[in-house]
Amino acid sequence: MPEVQEQKASRERLSRIRLYVRQRPVMLVLLTAVTVVFFVFVAALSRAYRDQQRSLGNRWYQRGVADLSGKRYQAAVTDFRAALLYSRDNYTYQLNLAEALLGMNRRAEASAYFLNLWDRQPEDGLVNLELARIAAQKGQAQQAVRYYHDAVYAVWPTQQEIQRREARLELIELLLRSNAKGQAQAELIALSENANEDPVQLEVLGDLFMRAQDYEHALGEYRLSLKADGHNAKTLAGAGYAAYELGQYPLAEHYLQDAVKQDPHDSATAERLKTTEMVLRMDPYRRKIPSSERGRLVLEAFATAGQRLQKCAMPSGDGADPGGTSLSDQWSALKPQITQRGLQRSSDLADGAMDLVFRIERQTSLSCGAPTGPDLALLLISKLREGNRF
Amino acid sequence: MSLQGDPESEVLADHTEPPRATAWIYEHSPRTVWRAVFREDNFFLVLSVFIGVLSGLAVVCFRYAIDWARLYLLGTGVVLTPVRLLLAPSLAGLVISVLVIHVFPRTRGSGVNQTKAALYIYNGHIPFRTAIGKFITAALAIGSGHSLGPEDPSLQIGASLASVLGRKMRLSRDRMRLIAPVGAAAGLAAAFNAPISAVLFVIEEVIGRWTAGILGSVVLSAISSVVVMRWFLGSESMFRIPAVEMTQPLELIAYAVLGVVGGIASVVFASGIGILRPAFKGLPRWTQYFQPAIAGLLIGIIAVLGAPQVMGAGYEYIDQAMHGQFTWQFLAILAGLKIVATLLSFVSGTPGGMFAPTLFIGAMLGAAVGGAERYMFPYLTISPGTYALVGMGVLFAGFLRAPMTSVFMVLEVSGNYSIIVPVIVANTFSYVISRGLQPIPIFDVLTRQDGLELPSMEELREEDILQVEDAMQPGEGPVLDAEETVEKALQHVDGTRGEDLLVRLSPSGWSTVTRDHLRALASDGKASAKLGPLLLVPRIPYLHPDLPLETALRYIERWPLVPVVSRANFQQLEGVVSQRSVLDRYREFGEG
Repeated sequence: MPEVQEQKASRERLSRIRLYVRQRPVMLVLLTAVTVVFFVFVAALSRAYRDQQRSLGNRWYQRGVADLSGKRYQAAVTDFRAALLYSRDNYTYQLNLAEALLGMNRRAEASAYFLNLWDRQPEDGLVNLELARIAAQKGQAQQAVRYYHDAVYAVWPTQQEIQRREARLELIELLLRSNAKGQAQAELIALSENANEDPVQLEVLGDLFMRAQDYEHALGEYRLSLKADGHNAKTLAGAGYAAYELGQYPLAEHYLQDAVKQDPHDSATAERLKTTEMVLRMDPYRRKIPSSERGRLVLEAFATAGQRLQKCAMPSGDGADPGGTSLSDQWSALKPQITQRGLQRSSDLADGAMDLVFRIERQTSLSCGAPTGPDLALLLISKLREGNRF
Repeated sequence: MSLQGDPESEVLADHTEPPRATAWIYEHSPRTVWRAVFREDNFFLVLSVFIGVLSGLAVVCFRYAIDWARLYLLGTGVVLTPVRLLLAPSLAGLVISVLVIHVFPRTRGSGVNQTKAALYIYNGHIPFRTAIGKFITAALAIGSGHSLGPEDPSLQIGASLASVLGRKMRLSRDRMRLIAPVGAAAGLAAAFNAPISAVLFVIEEVIGRWTAGILGSVVLSAISSVVVMRWFLGSESMFRIPAVEMTQPLELIAYAVLGVVGGIASVVFASGIGILRPAFKGLPRWTQYFQPAIAGLLIGIIAVLGAPQVMGAGYEYIDQAMHGQFTWQFLAILAGLKIVATLLSFVSGTPGGMFAPTLFIGAMLGAAVGGAERYMFPYLTISPGTYALVGMGVLFAGFLRAPMTSVFMVLEVSGNYSIIVPVIVANTFSYVISRGLQPIPIFDVLTRQDGLELPSMEELREEDILQVEDAMQPGEGPVLDAEETVEKALQHVDGTRGEDLLVRLSPSGWSTVTRDHLRALASDGKASAKLGPLLLVPRIPYLHPDLPLETALRYIERWPLVPVVSRANFQQLEGVVSQRSVLDRYREFGEG
């Protein structure tokens, strides 16, 4: 009997526990416990999953990097795509995939990736640079300039100054190609301010200033370069060319002579030197020459201009004076007066003759193309005297 | 419905309201608050949060399971070997068919209809075994490359978990019926990382109506599950959304073309399922062991022949299509092949969802149409990425016939509201064409093929609702004024018809009086007294013309005449309804 009673009591106890457990507050506590346990389990699972994904992604990424450096772009694209399967938003994987796509010349896809990366990190230098290059290749100059600017002021992971400098150099190249010389000059000035004393870099800067037609800055850069390496033929020639363009012919002669000495095979520089020497020699207005010599130079210039007129068949009316007299007629009318004695006697006659010579050279250069030899020298003298540079 | 005129509520209000301070102390005492938490309606809300959290956790595990299945069955790279492409889906198909036939018989199909059946037929009951079965078989199918998606199974897993919790918590039958949709919303939201779309889909396709009682729970569970899912899987959207642009209004025509193409594709897809599914089911029983395997083999062949993109859910390829990484011709081919692959997988009875394939087909079709239009009309600034995004919504509207969800899904996924006009234009065309050519929505087709009769949500949405004004008639007798005398009132009613007369009360409200009562008052010597205080019924309820006619059913048995008044002026009578007029209207409606 006691056993039966005990069993009954046990059943009642169990039933009471059941009833208690079925109460909502208790159920809620149990549910919370189950949820916490499940959460912890999923967290552990998630860690294992993530570790595996990371490891797989990294493995494919390493393969991709090897393929990319071996220029096996197709394989690299496949590898990076596989890596991205395991880490879809991995910035480095996407960047490398975009680079590989660029390598395959799939610009549209690469551009999509770069734009996505740009949205995430607009301050990334490489992304901006690649986007600038893509825009430049597409002919979207304005967009390219914007990206180049961003690249110049962007954050670079290594060798920041060098990378920025390279980006700015690319931008200058683009501006020069687009004939935006003013903008190019501004960028060049900014670049030169941060340039170091490496003569090669200074020479490159000088060349770029020359292309941007900023001869004064070009001459400055060449001179700085020459301080470090005074025997560099190319730099000497560059300095000579810059001085020549500035109309500083004595200085140009000095640099060009040194350049030709350093590199006698540089025919273009030799030719430029010849022209420079001619300008210096044929200029009747240069100081400290006797009047007889000046007269001789005017006579020579007048004769040269006459020959040029004969060779150049200009349309009638070109260069005619207000009275309608053509250059040829003006030259013929003045010729009898142009004698050594007449020129020595009247400085006005010499001026009038040289004025006609200059007009002839300018007009013929417009009608018959760029002159050479003494005609070119006379044209340069005319521009020098009138302060009218190119 | 207006209760302003309900005399019962007024009486209750007069006699049961305790003094304010006492009531406040009573309502905020710890015991009352504790009890209130465990009152079923509040407890249901608390439970919804747990359902959301647990569903979110389950969906995270489900995603991991799919990824692991893919990894071990298909390999780790993007270029897969032909042997794996052919063997993985075929062998997985064999295992799945054995599991589905012998262990988890209720796991076939997508899961949306099973959740609806739980709501309308099984009082919210979904066996836990179904969730386990769906988890295993769908993960195996999707991971091995069957052309199916994880969303619908997630929806069913969520619903099943919710059902188990509801049973354990001994919820009432009404609450049990509603618990499956709550879990469904949680599962779908976590799978899709889009809580708004999940809530809308469950309301639009599973519950079919907006009710405050369920909406709060559905929203709570969806949000909790998304929070949990994002905790583990991150908050990134499923696709890298391209820059959405529409520079010319003329482009809307191009989007309309996409809507037309999408509508036709939806019809082809739905018709394929409608025709092939019963045909496959009708084959001898032994063939069911091989149907998923053969479907898997055919999908593998498609993959080996150059379109591995059709395998699995294919989200990564949707992403690539959005970023112009395929030609429009190839995109069109992919859309066609995906329809074929999904048909094969689905009609063979392989468990898995149709959301992802629908989005895939839509994205490919959208990007193809966008690409073709750009080719033909280069002056239009068409971005195929935007078209892919709109295309997803187009197929959703046309194939799944969930127009509202389709619009919000695109907005939620893209996070860009400037796309709304193209989405609405394209989806409308797709929906209208699909409805015109395929009158029965795909979920209803599947339900009927399974021998069930579940309410069609599309029919419910478009059902005509009778309103009070449909049964309203002009009052027969004059309207009396409570301020006039009994004698004057008798003069008013003299020579008119109708036994029951309406009385306009002052300053507002309505009552009723009979001719006999008026005469009795006059003969009792009260002819010169005002009518108002002598009325037997101090106040009767009134209705407005726009109320549902079923509202009138509550009053017409008790009151012979119920006044229908303007909402702008409660003293202005628009007409009356009586038991006869209401029943006549229902009879006419039933006869069509």
